Amino acid sequence: MRAPEPLPATRVVAAPAVLDGIATDGGITLRLAVDEALVLGGGAVVDDEAALVEDEAGFVGWWLTPDELTEVAHHLEWTIPAERPALAQGLVAGVPARLWLTEERSLLLVSGAYAHELVERLP
Amino acid sequence: MSPVAGQFLLDGSALGFEPGDTVAVAVVRAAQHPGHGGTLCLAGDCGNCVAEVEGIAYVRTCLTPAADGMAVTRHPTDGPPRWHAEPRETEVPVAHDETDVAVIGGGDAGRAAATAEEQAGRRVLVLDGPAGDEVVAVYAGPTVIVRRHGAMVHIRATEVVVATGTAETQPVGPGSRLIGLLTSRAAQQLHAAGVDLGRAVAVGPVPAGVPCTALRGSLLRLEGDSRVSAVVTRDAEGENRVECDTVILDLGRSPRDMLSRMAGDLPVRVVGSAAETHPLPPPPTAGVVCPCVGTTVDDLEGVWSRGFRELELIKRASLAGTGTCQGSVCMPHVLSWIAARTGEAPPPFTARPASRQITLGEAAADVHLDAFRRTPLHDEHLALGARMDRFGGWWRPWHYGDHLAEYRAVREAVSLGDVSTLGKFIVAGQDTVEFLQRLYPTDVSTIRPGRSRYALLLNERGHVIDDGMICRETEDRFVLTFTTGGAGNAEMWMRDWLETWGLQVHLMDRTMSLAAINVTGPRAAELLARVGLTDPLRFLQHAHVEVAGIPAHVMRLSFTGEASFEIHHPVDRSVDLWRGLMAMGGDMGIRPHGLQALFALRLEKGHVIIGMDTELDSTPRRLGMDWAVNMDKRDFLGRDALARTAALPDHRRLVGLTMDGPAPTEGSPIWSDGDVIGHVTSTFASPTLGHAVMLGWQKRTPFPEQVEVDGRTATVGAPPFYDPEGARARA
Repeated sequence: MRAPEPLPATRVVAAPAVLDGIATDGGITLRLAVDEALVLGGGAVVDDEAALVEDEAGFVGWWLTPDELTEVAHHLEWTIPAERPALAQGLVAGVPARLWLTEERSLLLVSGAYAHELVERLP
Repeated sequence: MSPVAGQFLLDGSALGFEPGDTVAVAVVRAAQHPGHGGTLCLAGDCGNCVAEVEGIAYVRTCLTPAADGMAVTRHPTDGPPRWHAEPRETEVPVAHDETDVAVIGGGDAGRAAATAEEQAGRRVLVLDGPAGDEVVAVYAGPTVIVRRHGAMVHIRATEVVVATGTAETQPVGPGSRLIGLLTSRAAQQLHAAGVDLGRAVAVGPVPAGVPCTALRGSLLRLEGDSRVSAVVTRDAEGENRVECDTVILDLGRSPRDMLSRMAGDLPVRVVGSAAETHPLPPPPTAGVVCPCVGTTVDDLEGVWSRGFRELELIKRASLAGTGTCQGSVCMPHVLSWIAARTGEAPPPFTARPASRQITLGEAAADVHLDAFRRTPLHDEHLALGARMDRFGGWWRPWHYGDHLAEYRAVREAVSLGDVSTLGKFIVAGQDTVEFLQRLYPTDVSTIRPGRSRYALLLNERGHVIDDGMICRETEDRFVLTFTTGGAGNAEMWMRDWLETWGLQVHLMDRTMSLAAINVTGPRAAELLARVGLTDPLRFLQHAHVEVAGIPAHVMRLSFTGEASFEIHHPVDRSVDLWRGLMAMGGDMGIRPHGLQALFALRLEKGHVIIGMDTELDSTPRRLGMDWAVNMDKRDFLGRDALARTAALPDHRRLVGLTMDGPAPTEGSPIWSDGDVIGHVTSTFASPTLGHAVMLGWQKRTPFPEQVEVDGRTATVGAPPFYDPEGARARA
């Protein structure tokens, strides 16, 4: 697999309702957990002083072609969700990773600490 | 005369084969047996024809096409196949495929199922053994694992249809291990291949087209030395003995349903004769029931008499069904044998992958080892000559070629350590202090903003499960650190308790978002002054500052025993910071240190490593760390257990030990009065102190003050061994 690209982001931990109301200027908001969101690119406006909002440099990723997504699907022990958009989280070739899927494009997202494993394991 | 297609080596001797022969057919054609006796099914159902082929043991020769020059070696009669010590090229290619329906079996039922599915508009893959698709497993997904011409194919399907038909029942009784016994289908196969079966007789229905003599009655016994010479049957008129060269046995059928039995709740459907109920054979009364492992009827009687009455337990106790064919041959007989005792045959036992013997290379195809993380400094370490090792789920530098030089750099100058792997968490919110008060045995309320404290993490039993630092940033915001290997559990621990207690606290894991470099040594502050930290922090102080122009959270602490500054910073700036520090410290004798040096440095200070020096039930008292527990606090996890056990005697303690001479091996037993009373957990021959220092467990009272380790006398002494006042760490 080719080298991944950095995915500068903002990480937010807050109450679910606060995360629902995150405003972003061109960013992609990924809901990683009930109380956690990752906003890729663009800024994040979080309307809650109690929220934890931190710059995040720990993620890298690959924007996948349809063929690459098909190949990635061969390395899952779970089924890629059919609906779009979707955020799926699980092991990809044994590596903890996430897939952000829209009608137009797909992003394979992984912590930078694991990126080398995916580079080695995916064709 | 048939054309000879080639020759292969059978036990080192050349053996000719004809076009289309499998190894087993060629061997039988030469009037031999591919194994050492027993009925041949020539369909892959039994283990009677397995042999070593091209160095791979347990290969079903009935499914292996004969090839010119191939080496076939029969397994020994008195032990396992020979072990090949030399490494083999074992990487097996993997292909992936997907379909709506995977039909396993290309017979009538399989083709009918495939046609029906295709007519319903579904994509269908038919996996037919004779065509080269040997299905060995069905996993979750469902995913069908196929061995196909030296490669593995992993097929994801929406549904799996098992149409594998039936296996033929093999005889159990006197003479059942002789050579010259064939199932009905095997006889047909051999006859079609032009193999001369000699004087052949048939017990049961006569196979169509095969010249043989039909015998009356049921099988009583088979006679012969190593090869069958006669068969005895019995009917209403009595026993009937017939001399012969080959006995063809049609004793019934059983479903080939192993793949469906390993599928559990997966969408797997069985069709055709594999789905039908077939009569069980008569209960065996003597002889080998399971030819793969040699389980006899007497063995079944033995386990039954010992109280094993469930099929799964009988299988485990007798090993019937655990061999090459995984119960294909023996299970009908074992079920019948149980039914004769209970009045009812139990359901067949669960099957587990793989249904066929596969090589380690085939099993490992497309399987990955656990993923190990790399810090952003990984390539820097390699460039500096580090020997990397796996530790706590990360690749970490063990040393950079000279761990004692690294040790001296810390003690005498300045050194860098990559501690990016530490668990790092932000906790904040209105209930944060209450949360941490309940979580930790230390009084968190007395930590002022800008200050930090070492803390143990205890479970409800008062056992130490991790340790780390608590750094208070504001009234209700803290940064917590945990050990490299314990960070994941610590996060789960915190989240579980937050949910249980219902407190208003936010928790953010920053472990893989922030890197961390430990600058340590007597000249550490001097180095940091060169990169902009001109106002050095006091011991246990922490602050958000810029270091070499990089935003950082710096913590003043000490694990090495020297002044230490842990610089937490964004992972994407780590290489810049590392290189900047190394460059600025060049004239100070700076060099990085790996884990080997770090473990030695901390051992001189008596600092424990959780999981290495501690055990699962280590309490603060046993570790000599009561000072880290504030029993005046109202409540914290583990407090009740510590209070309850405080007055009880304890026969275990972790102690420091010193000894002249070299350091013994970690794990060495600790002796006292001729008995082992514990073991050493950490050792180091300290060049600074001039003797070996150790941590180790004493597990017998009264605790002796002198013990024996590695044949030498060791003296118990409370750590720290180095700088006991801590002046250097606070300098």
